[in-house]
Amino acid sequence: MTTEAPTPRTRVRRLPELGVYERERVHAIIDEALYCHLSWVGDDGDPRVIPTIHARIGDTLYVHGSNASTTLRGIKGGVPIAIAITLVDGIRFARSMFEHSMNYRTVVVYGRTEEVTDADELATVFDAITDHVAPGRSADARRPTPGELRQTTFVKVALDECSAKVSEGFPEEPDDDLALDVWAGILPLRVVPGEAQDDPLLRADTPRPSYVTDWRRPGT
Amino acid sequence: MPEPTSDRTRVHRHPERGDHDLTIVHRILDEALTCTVAWVDPQGGPRALPTIQARIDDTLYLHGSRAARAWKAVAAGAEVCVVATLIDALVLARTSPHHSMNYRSAVVYGRARTVADPSELVSAARAITRHVLPGREEDAAEPRDKDWLETLILAMPIAEASAKVRTGPPVDDEADLALDVWAGTLPLQTVVGEPTPAPDLRAGIAVPEYLKGYRRP
Repeated sequence: MTTEAPTPRTRVRRLPELGVYERERVHAIIDEALYCHLSWVGDDGDPRVIPTIHARIGDTLYVHGSNASTTLRGIKGGVPIAIAITLVDGIRFARSMFEHSMNYRTVVVYGRTEEVTDADELATVFDAITDHVAPGRSADARRPTPGELRQTTFVKVALDECSAKVSEGFPEEPDDDLALDVWAGILPLRVVPGEAQDDPLLRADTPRPSYVTDWRRPGT
Repeated sequence: MPEPTSDRTRVHRHPERGDHDLTIVHRILDEALTCTVAWVDPQGGPRALPTIQARIDDTLYLHGSRAARAWKAVAAGAEVCVVATLIDALVLARTSPHHSMNYRSAVVYGRARTVADPSELVSAARAITRHVLPGREEDAAEPRDKDWLETLILAMPIAEASAKVRTGPPVDDEADLALDVWAGTLPLQTVVGEPTPAPDLRAGIAVPEYLKGYRRP
């Protein structure tokens, strides 16, 4: 078990007791999060961020996009990126505005991108991204044709330089605020599915698979 | 539809999903509980930090610890990029390449200024509290002067910004419609559990009305 930050920029400096560096715990947050915020430095030297879907295989994180995407053209050539992942577990209500906070789990990943070009790896990653969203889906949906694969760019980054920050529990307030006549506590939050909507063009009698009707994030 | 305010806010990929109407950007920034702030560090590398935002009219407020190196860089006038994302539904097509999400995302570019004016500091603190839960700003104790020694409030204009929105069912190729695979959307929403009082809560303080039936604006 690793309890040390891999590099200075992944060391949690602010509230260092919230820093989490164990690989399994960091991976679990990455897997539970449906999407990530991917940032890089634009040609003009200014920061860029986009939301995108990721998937993890072992110690590698993958993202993808269309060949036509300016983002993918910008990041595929071995550039430094930063990825932020956020799960909000609850709102922490303190008696004072200042001590309000969230119960959250976040991960930040730093690394250098590498384009995926190996055909077998591309096929595996396509399945992994599909299954990241709905586990089991890749076995059901038609897989990409070679032509479709050629239209998509996949980029990977090693999960070598990453850390998590986990905040949980009740508000901690100075003694003189505890007497205030204000409610304090936690309001838990979670993401749940609603009722699935059939595609209007769906063939009659196509059943809804269990990974749709029983959808939930891994680890929840 | 309004034109993009700059080339970098132009939605290149799926331009039909792009929207430069700032009222849509505002709505996304208001509904999303958190955002990610990105900037470029002195070594030229990208940095990203999740945080909470709040909006008053055309101004986006961010806050953080004065001790945090991240916020020092942003307070010093580094160019920043803020993104907020809402996932409305999973979009499951018959073919894996056509899978998608129904989402709403907003990106804001600019530089932040450090808020120093005492009345703006209080309005920003109230706005951030209200962003998390409307009504709470009337209830919770306002920051004391000494709190501002620890906390930095930053303001950036919501001027160079754009939104990207996808809605609707999956879009498969005609030839794939006959496949024997379920297709459709699975809506997602954030729901609340039971409010859990702090163990040191004084007796006789009821759960406030604004906590019941909580939902994002």
